[in-house]
Amino acid sequence: MDLAVGTNLDRFVIIVYFVMVMGFGAYFGKYSKTTSDYFFGGRRFSWWLITISIVATGIGSHSFVKYSTKAYQYGFSSTMTYMNDWFFLPLFMFGWLPIIYYTRVGSIPEYFEKRFNRKARFLATFMILLYMIGYIAIQFLTLSTALYRIYGIPLMATVVIIAVATTLYMHFGGQTSVIFTDLFQGFILIFSGLLLFILGLNYLADHSALGGLQTFWQNLTPAQKLPLAHFNRPPDFNFVGIFWQDGIAGSVGFLFLNQGLIMRFMAARSVNEGRKAAAFNVLLVLPISAIVVSNAGWIGRAIANAVPGALPAGMEGNDVFVAVTNVVSSPGVFGFIIAALCAALMSTADTLVNASSAIIVNDVYRPLAKKKTNDKEQLKIARFTSIGVKVIAVILVPFFNSFDSIYEAHGWFHSTFTPPLVVAVFLGIFWKRFTTPAVIATFLMGAALMIMGQFFPQLVSPFSHGIELRPDRGYSYIGALYNLVVCGGVGVIVSLFTQPESSEKVKGLTVFDVQLLREMFKGSKPNDKQGENVEVSWIVNKVQGDVVNFSKQDMDRMAANKGDLVYVSDSRKWLGGLKSIHSVYGEPHEEEGIVYISEEQLANGQFVEDKSVTAEKEM
Amino acid sequence: MLDFSRTWLPFLYLYGVGGIAFIVGMMLILRTKALNKEIARHRIWLKVLYFGFGFYATLHAVFILLALGSS
Repeated sequence: MDLAVGTNLDRFVIIVYFVMVMGFGAYFGKYSKTTSDYFFGGRRFSWWLITISIVATGIGSHSFVKYSTKAYQYGFSSTMTYMNDWFFLPLFMFGWLPIIYYTRVGSIPEYFEKRFNRKARFLATFMILLYMIGYIAIQFLTLSTALYRIYGIPLMATVVIIAVATTLYMHFGGQTSVIFTDLFQGFILIFSGLLLFILGLNYLADHSALGGLQTFWQNLTPAQKLPLAHFNRPPDFNFVGIFWQDGIAGSVGFLFLNQGLIMRFMAARSVNEGRKAAAFNVLLVLPISAIVVSNAGWIGRAIANAVPGALPAGMEGNDVFVAVTNVVSSPGVFGFIIAALCAALMSTADTLVNASSAIIVNDVYRPLAKKKTNDKEQLKIARFTSIGVKVIAVILVPFFNSFDSIYEAHGWFHSTFTPPLVVAVFLGIFWKRFTTPAVIATFLMGAALMIMGQFFPQLVSPFSHGIELRPDRGYSYIGALYNLVVCGGVGVIVSLFTQPESSEKVKGLTVFDVQLLREMFKGSKPNDKQGENVEVSWIVNKVQGDVVNFSKQDMDRMAANKGDLVYVSDSRKWLGGLKSIHSVYGEPHEEEGIVYISEEQLANGQFVEDKSVTAEKEM
Repeated sequence: MLDFSRTWLPFLYLYGVGGIAFIVGMMLILRTKALNKEIARHRIWLKVLYFGFGFYATLHAVFILLALGSS
């Protein structure tokens, strides 16, 4: 279909948006002074900031395009994948999150080295990088699919332009830039998605004697109003296949293995703030996000039924979002909503690129580097690595473009790359008996059995739940169940026939030791005595080591002792922890209401003169 | 007419199989004391976790009933 859409005003709005976000990212780049800042934002942010930036990461540009397509075809069941993440939240919040936070692992592969050995780390690195770079390629493809219709630039040229634009603000920023641009873009995403819904309802109201919502509801069939798809039909969109591909492999993959998401949680100022972000996100933000990404398809279906001929004839699946937006919005507003699609891409891609370069620096460069390099050099390497990651992603775009739809490309991707990692990390955290030879076998033998499943779909048939086998395509989503079973089977069987790891080696690395982790993190027994937060003024003074000094009275109010951990932040809560530091209580002094900090702490915390700080005892 | 495999079977499968994953997870974090009921803040989290499961199950059930009601 020849779908040329948008006006010059729309094109202008999109360009202005890109420039604005790049400027925003570059501004917050000043907060990235070390690799810790670059990758983890200095572990300082409040839960609400983490939540909104997770929204922007979770909603990729592929989300708008692929969910609109399925929403147009199948109705409300397009929301399935956004509403099935709660099952693994207990294990994430109270198992995985404290482990990664308190063991201070820089990346998921680093966990594999601690829990198993270096070989396991390299295998995990390879698989996670494949997963993330492929994910970035899908993001580039999706946004390009939308933009090349608007600007009339060839698809691959659009891909390259987008890759360069995202590089510019990422290159100078790092995690703090990512978090703050994602905060901005998260709001834009939600606002524009809901705006599109309202515009769609208005459009329906204008073309009917009834109200917009009533027209919308009446022009969907009962089947389109169901929140879950048919159990096992059709093969390209059925409940049970998508449940195993997304609800199980995808949810665990996203929560436990998405380095980008994990880095968000590691940027939280404490484990409890990370828990709040996770719970709030899944409970409230995901259902809203489901409406945001799907509503163009629902509105499109209602328009197709209520106003025949309003949408272009022969519209392709991937074009639903752009076509519906074009019909219901006016010039300028269309550009703004497409800019939100850009926001979705940029915020997801920047997170994944940042995460990929974190993995390359932490898990490839650092372990293999013959001479020790300083933090500044590593930061430089991280920045250039992010460019390399994008180049590879651009090269991969044509492969993903060969799938029938972006939804299927993404589904294949999840069900193929996540199962070995899901099994390895899950058994690693929750089963002490899982051994090093078993994790290696899970990666290698599991992958071999998975490849066999791709070539001989009859191996997958026993798991198919009655889903029809498409002779030329095999099983799309339910392949995830076969992959999980073979990888899990290999892992369990090899574990039972090999020597268990010593308790000392796995100490602090499984859910069984979560209670010990806080003590290991602090280096002494945590102080859980209830105290209050205090607001004090700061002055730069000569302090001994990485400590801060409070008065004896203030320490009593906080119920703190020398050696306890403290979090000091600018008292303006809306900053979300941007200006803050973690430190240790030093010797108390006699000046009540004053905290002594060092020059270095002032530089890291970026505290403002005449603005007070709030101190909170951590443990 | 919407048949069972279009309406309640996916719901039962989702909260049956997903429910097993949820219950196993809850048992594991409670038994290992990763979620320690002696800590006040953890007791609140325990309620939030159960509430979330119920919230999603109710949401899905309500939409199925609404769809059935409109058929």
